[in-house]
Amino acid sequence: MNNPLRSDLPAISEIWVYLSGSPLLALVLTLSAYLLGLTLYERSQRNPLANPVLIAVVVVCLSIGLLDMPYAKYFEGAQFVHFLLGTATVSLAIPIYKGFASLKGRMSVLLLSLVAGGITSVLTAVGMARWLGVDESLVRGLVAKSVTAPIAMGIAERVQASPTLTAIFAVSTGILGAVLGRYVLDALRVKAWWQRGFALGVAAHGIGTSRAFSVNAEAGAYASLGMGLHGIVGAVLIPQAVGWWF
Amino acid sequence: MIQGLVQLFIFQALGELVSKFALPFIPGPVLGLVLLLAFLVLRGQVPASMDTVGSSILQHLGLLFIPASVGVVLYLPVLQANAWAISAALVLSVVATVAVTAGLLKVLAKKD
Repeated sequence: MNNPLRSDLPAISEIWVYLSGSPLLALVLTLSAYLLGLTLYERSQRNPLANPVLIAVVVVCLSIGLLDMPYAKYFEGAQFVHFLLGTATVSLAIPIYKGFASLKGRMSVLLLSLVAGGITSVLTAVGMARWLGVDESLVRGLVAKSVTAPIAMGIAERVQASPTLTAIFAVSTGILGAVLGRYVLDALRVKAWWQRGFALGVAAHGIGTSRAFSVNAEAGAYASLGMGLHGIVGAVLIPQAVGWWF
Repeated sequence: MIQGLVQLFIFQALGELVSKFALPFIPGPVLGLVLLLAFLVLRGQVPASMDTVGSSILQHLGLLFIPASVGVVLYLPVLQANAWAISAALVLSVVATVAVTAGLLKVLAKKD
């Protein structure tokens, strides 16, 4: 039996041309890949190695490869998601403000450690990469990698680094910090939750922070404070430092 | 909820303006963050609708940097050529950063 609707249906290629011309395809792809990442992350009992962003990025990269969709075309649609990064950065004021309440006069100690940690992050990454002969176009992407990704990408634009590479290095750093952080902290016998959390937030921003929250609430609060303060301090100091160092 | 979103957009816009006309070396959203922080300190509390919107955005912060990160497809050859060196630099750097930050905190906090 023939379906009477069939003759009215446009050819698949026509549907495809229509779909890929609208931002919907890229948006659906991005959001579903993220949902898949979140599901796998929950299934793995929140193992930091099953990072939802990492999974989503791999899935989207493979999909646009299969669909033969150029990156520029994908980004044209996905930019609506990208735009909210700025809004998210502004929202970071909320956890920082809440963190202030639990400070108990530790601000100067925290700021000092933060600046020392931030300098260590840039010097060791750039120094090691140069020593190992990494391509100079990649080295600049390492400068802001310990800063939370939305701010890191803003810094990247100001130091002529690629925001994409910076985002990739930031996500990798976050995952590494969330996985390795506890061993470093145990080796140094750092026991206080606020110290452990703050160090994770400074070194591994959002991913380290969610790791800290899953272990202890105080550690999590201090981790968001560390991430937020590193964002502000990094945005002010890193472009200046890069100016005379590079 | 919409109220909170509008408030966040307003601070984002203010930050962009200050960045454009006064402090071009600091990204606009970071200035928006600082302005909002000052506003919250003056106000003494986080408005409920802003808290709802801000927390939901931050909870899914990772989603927002997927579009930029997918750009990695443009850098695959150069990344592959430098994969080991880059990984070594990232591992060393994150271990050193955690160690310095936590170590210094521990030493300084003991003095109090």
